[in-house]
Amino acid sequence: MTWLVEPFQLGLQQRALLGASLAAIALAVVGTWVVIRGMTFLGDALVHGVVPGIALALLLGFDPLLGAVGAALVMLGGISLVHRQTAFSEDTGIGLLFVGMLGLGVILISRSAGFSGELTAVLFGDALGISGGDLVVLVIIVAVAIAVSLVGYRHFLVLAFNEQKARLLGLRPAAAHVVLLGLITMVIVGSFRTVGTLLVFGLLVGPPATAALLVRRVPAMMATATAIGVLSVVVGLVVSYHADTSGSATMAVVPVALFFVVLAGRSVAGRGSSSPRR
Amino acid sequence: MPVNPPAVQVTDLVVRYGDTVALSPSSFIVPRGAVTALIGPNGSGKSTLLGAIAGLVTPTAGTIDILPGDGRPRRVSLVLQSTKVADALPVTVAEVVTMARYATTGAYRRLGAADRAAVTAAIDRMGIGDLASRHLSELSGGQRQRVFVAQGLAEEHDLLLLDEPMTGLDMVSMKAIDDVIHAEQQAGRTVVITTHDLAEAHVADHVVLLAKRVVASGPARSVLTAEHLLEAYGSGLVHAVGERMFVDDPAHRHPPDVHTHRERSLPDTAD
Repeated sequence: MTWLVEPFQLGLQQRALLGASLAAIALAVVGTWVVIRGMTFLGDALVHGVVPGIALALLLGFDPLLGAVGAALVMLGGISLVHRQTAFSEDTGIGLLFVGMLGLGVILISRSAGFSGELTAVLFGDALGISGGDLVVLVIIVAVAIAVSLVGYRHFLVLAFNEQKARLLGLRPAAAHVVLLGLITMVIVGSFRTVGTLLVFGLLVGPPATAALLVRRVPAMMATATAIGVLSVVVGLVVSYHADTSGSATMAVVPVALFFVVLAGRSVAGRGSSSPRR
Repeated sequence: MPVNPPAVQVTDLVVRYGDTVALSPSSFIVPRGAVTALIGPNGSGKSTLLGAIAGLVTPTAGTIDILPGDGRPRRVSLVLQSTKVADALPVTVAEVVTMARYATTGAYRRLGAADRAAVTAAIDRMGIGDLASRHLSELSGGQRQRVFVAQGLAEEHDLLLLDEPMTGLDMVSMKAIDDVIHAEQQAGRTVVITTHDLAEAHVADHVVLLAKRVVASGPARSVLTAEHLLEAYGSGLVHAVGERMFVDDPAHRHPPDVHTHRERSLPDTAD
């Protein structure tokens, strides 16, 4: 068992494990809503769209968290503007803002070689650089993600079912949508130090998508996704320690690989028994 | 002619989406305790009108009065077309029907015994008890439609609105929904359906014929005349074969493999 314990002997390694696990929990809970509401493209765009905000923050010397939040707000505002002012569906606006913001981020980076090391940490994460303060922030983010998911459960569930039905039942689908956007922004911005903005998406979508193959109800999906997310972190950190690979990239690849393993397992099992589908 | 006072009074209703007129000034009533069919070609404003009665669509002008029954406000329940629902959602049939009770409990109050009883009763009435733990993605189109009707019933409405409830269904589901519509009417509740099927409209108590406005409304025999149908559909789509009228509406033609259109001889409407 030493191969399992060895990667977590140092304080910074333990903080990496704890921090990445907390991020994985928050991402799994919010990612469940992202997957069932069909917002993965928006989630992906947001993840990449925060890059120019972070780059600008590093360039001008303010907190990258603030830069990320600002960039996310610009993205959401832009997407909403395109959607309201044109006949295009929402994904056209998402695509435009996605590529525009990512391009802007790369331009900012290319104009300033001085902070490339720090920026690499932002893009690909630096789990071993997690501080005690970061852990406190992550604990708060996990608590908020779980609390909002519990309080807003019926709003989010019926919104995912059908927005019109949600209105007819007297729920608040428009407000619920805005709250969901806020949750997604919060977990993405709160996790980028650990996993990196480019790879946070793996933990946002991978565990809930895998869980959806295994369980049948939303609360079970959240619990299973959380377990898969934490497992991905542990496996990712252990593998990256022994194989000397990038920790965040390994963590992001594990849930996606797991998804296809489960999918393959399910279709093998499905061949043995009659499918419930009609 | 309906003798009851109306359940819904629509006066000079206009609905516009931007520059597009969905419904020009229209006035009609929905009689109480009866089945009313809204019929018309594709894009004639059937779903818009149903949405406006349900409160989903805001009228540009005019009024829709849902008249109170038994001294209390009427509760309106709308069953949407099943194609508009995300079927990959990880919810069971029982959960979908239970959502109906949020209209009563709100977003936070716990479900009580009355709520659970209403859900069970609706599931039983639609004959979907054996599907209760299934996912929507595991159901046929007809089974899904029965689930959505059960959801509508579980709201314990006074006014039940169904958007094309019979389109593309298997015979079992069609009969189950047809039975419920008539049972609701027998119980004194008001039902409004949209349909593209002349036969369906013909068996309703009251018919509103639409072509982006009300062409005619009243009992089927006085509404579904050759003259009115020609006005609503145009001469290319309405055919008279002997004494029967047919509407050949390509927008509503069933794919061959799910052809469940009920063949029914219509009374003479060519007068």
